[in-house]
Amino acid sequence: MEQLILASGACDPANDIICKPDNVIELFKFEDNLFAIGPWGITRTVFLILLAMVIVLTLLFFGLRKRRMVPSKFGVTIESLMQFVRDDIAVGIIGPEGTKYYPWLLSLFMFILVGNLFEVTPLINFPITSRMAIAGGLSLLTWVIFVFVGFKKNGFRYVGALVWPTTVPIALRPLVGLIEFVSTFLLRPLTLAVRLFANMVAGHLMLTLLLVSGWVFMSSVGEIGARALIGVPWFAFGLGIFVFEIIVAILQAYIFTLLSAVYVESSIHIEH
Amino acid sequence: MLSMLTQVLFLFAEPAPISEPATEEGGIQLLLPHPDELIAGLIAFIIIFFFVWKWAVPALNKTLEARQAKIRAEYEAAEAAKVEAESLLGDYREQVAGAQDEATAIVDEARVAGEQVKADIVARAEAEAEQIKSRASDEIEGERERVAGELRREVADLSITVAEKVVEANLDDDMQRQLVDRYIDELGGVH
Repeated sequence: MEQLILASGACDPANDIICKPDNVIELFKFEDNLFAIGPWGITRTVFLILLAMVIVLTLLFFGLRKRRMVPSKFGVTIESLMQFVRDDIAVGIIGPEGTKYYPWLLSLFMFILVGNLFEVTPLINFPITSRMAIAGGLSLLTWVIFVFVGFKKNGFRYVGALVWPTTVPIALRPLVGLIEFVSTFLLRPLTLAVRLFANMVAGHLMLTLLLVSGWVFMSSVGEIGARALIGVPWFAFGLGIFVFEIIVAILQAYIFTLLSAVYVESSIHIEH
Repeated sequence: MLSMLTQVLFLFAEPAPISEPATEEGGIQLLLPHPDELIAGLIAFIIIFFFVWKWAVPALNKTLEARQAKIRAEYEAAEAAKVEAESLLGDYREQVAGAQDEATAIVDEARVAGEQVKADIVARAEAEAEQIKSRASDEIEGERERVAGELRREVADLSITVAEKVVEANLDDDMQRQLVDRYIDELGGVH
């Protein structure tokens, strides 16, 4: 029971109506090392990040290992996923040259998808994308890529077209240019990161609070009597959110990848 | 059941840091990237990227190309087989039609031959009958002549005998015979 983060001191089912931690960070930050590789201590989060990588590699490897003429069901799933990212995101958004960005977009999608689904994976129940290191790191990478592509394809016209948009009336150009500049170079990476991060934090928070409260109340029936019934709606609600979070996990992986492609596209074709 | 679920849910969760006093920085801490996690995340992503770039994407492309080539080859083979089957069918149809014509021709020929045979048989039978008839009539004629000759001789003999008896036979035998013959010839000339 002492493994229960919330129950271990933060919850009093006799008086509270929901269990919540003293500080929300307790749900997200695991400082203790699970084990160490040489000088590097591996915390639970770092372990899960590496696990997500291993899962992605394993899925791809086993999905594509045998070059079958008639693929297995699992093979079809992986192939469809890859073709979806290539046709609908890479080529669909960026155009024919999108195939160049396809490996990056596919890696993003798979890594975020697995990372998000950790939220609803039994035994793990923690989305690594709820850590700013992952959400922020990946959106920083997207930022680096789309800025680099912008300069590479268009040189300084890339920034020029942003800060002096010729399609708007001349009086508005400084204002629109400033907005565009800030939006492209500052807000894009930030919103991209926060959208994923906040969704996963919220999901994890809801699931943990509801399911743990539900469990703590229902299991304390011997001590608190009828008050234990409070746990039933919490638990039921938690299970509902659980299903909802599966959709959120997939959707957020898709949105992050899609927006990354949109940003690259807007760096290549600056005229609109 | 519920306790199992809890254990499952929190098996990996670590004990709460009870010893640490709760700080008011929780929210900010949540927003700031943890350096270790950032490094781990970037390394993990780069490994995934290289794997996808160097292996997964080419692997899928090769599979799809191979599949495409195979499907095309099979389609073309099927197309060729269809064309061949159609030409075979045409041949067979022609053969069947030829066989029918041939059968009709054979039957016709047989009928003609049968008629011919029939006509021959009838003709031969008629000829034979005619032959038999004519032979019979010849035979009858011969017989009649023979009988007539014999009759004539006997009549002559009888006549001679009778005449001898009548005339008391002064006339020699030869003279009487000539006389009778002449008489008979005269008789013959009468009828």
